[in-house]
Amino acid sequence: MFNLDLFYESVPILASAAIVTVELTVCSVILSLLFGTISVMLQLSKIPGGYWLSRTYVSIMRGTPLLVQLFVVFFGLPLLGIKGQAFLAAAVAIGLNSGAYTTEILRAAVQNVPEGQIEAARAMGMSTRQIWFRVILPQAFVVSLPALTSEFTIVLKSTPLASVVAVTELTYAGVVIQARAFSAVEIFLPIAVGYVLIALSFTQVSRWLERRFRLLHT
Amino acid sequence: MDLEQILKYAPLLLEGLKVTIIISTAGILLSIVTGAVLVAMQRSGIRPLAVIVRIYTEIILGIPILVLLYVIYFVLPDIGLRLSELAAGLLTLTLYYSPYMAEIMRGAIDAIPSGQLEAARSVGMSRLQAARRITVPQALGLIIPPLTGISIGLVKDSAILSIISVHEFAFETKQVVARTYAPFEFWTFAAICYWTILFVWENGMRSLERRVTRYREAR
Repeated sequence: MFNLDLFYESVPILASAAIVTVELTVCSVILSLLFGTISVMLQLSKIPGGYWLSRTYVSIMRGTPLLVQLFVVFFGLPLLGIKGQAFLAAAVAIGLNSGAYTTEILRAAVQNVPEGQIEAARAMGMSTRQIWFRVILPQAFVVSLPALTSEFTIVLKSTPLASVVAVTELTYAGVVIQARAFSAVEIFLPIAVGYVLIALSFTQVSRWLERRFRLLHT
Repeated sequence: MDLEQILKYAPLLLEGLKVTIIISTAGILLSIVTGAVLVAMQRSGIRPLAVIVRIYTEIILGIPILVLLYVIYFVLPDIGLRLSELAAGLLTLTLYYSPYMAEIMRGAIDAIPSGQLEAARSVGMSRLQAARRITVPQALGLIIPPLTGISIGLVKDSAILSIISVHEFAFETKQVVARTYAPFEFWTFAAICYWTILFVWENGMRSLERRVTRYREAR
């Protein structure tokens, strides 16, 4: 029942598609951190309308399916003059979506930075921007590393949706082979294992980061 | 946004919305039931059952829901189990979300001290009375908030079923887009619809939570 030839034949193709999955995940994670940071700063600094803007962003991203967001971004980018960029659209959509969750994670961490530190920084003459980038955010990122890691494994698990806008990542590559070979176990088993392995390596990177920063902070 | 076009295709979209609501409701109920079975298996005291639940949970947490959907839709026919799109979709939602539901229930059960139940029994309450008056009211307050979050996730993930042509809201939107070629407008419209439904759902659950936790203020 298990066709070994098909298995050997499909693994190299799947491996190269897995690289696309990793690239998409990394790009989405970077965008998610960017959007999350901007959004949390809007929400907690005293910029007029910032709080409202950030809450609306979070509410929209958490209240609509990623699939729908992908289509909105994919068909919305051409209206901004960016055409035929499926990978970019997917990374932006997943990044925007995850950014809402990153906002919530960072918000909890930012609010945990002791008030005294901020007062001390101000007393030393630091500007608001300096306080954000040198006092609040570095600590917030370190504290939220575990939560961010689990958020980014969710990002990894949402990348297969990029196939709806024709990004050939791991899952979609599998569907293409499957449609040709009329056999599925040999293809979907390595795919499932592939996701678990990628997720495990992300967790390892995060553990390493955690150790590194814990060392710096004690 | 072209309102006239949206009105023209409203009946079709509404049909899809109905399927989304039905399949989501069914998915939530079934995954609660399956989740309860998982908890029961884990707490049964039989080692192999507990191990099976743990492996199952690890696998589900490790793979994307789309991969599970493809496995059910493409691999199961290989072993002679051909499901309709709707059944495959519902099975996917149930299998994927039951470990999350199990986790919620486990948390709620563990949060209620066993001493309370023993106390209730010792003042002469029957098992049923103790469950109805002591366990359930407290557990509900603990279950509703995480249940809201997980069920919102399930409703959003039901859109993925459009990929295997379950005729739900996202699928019908795709059909309409293919006919009108106004993708941005219709997908934005779909986003608004999902957001509205989930907004109402979230607030409904929040007021339900306030109702069932009134006892907390009465102390």
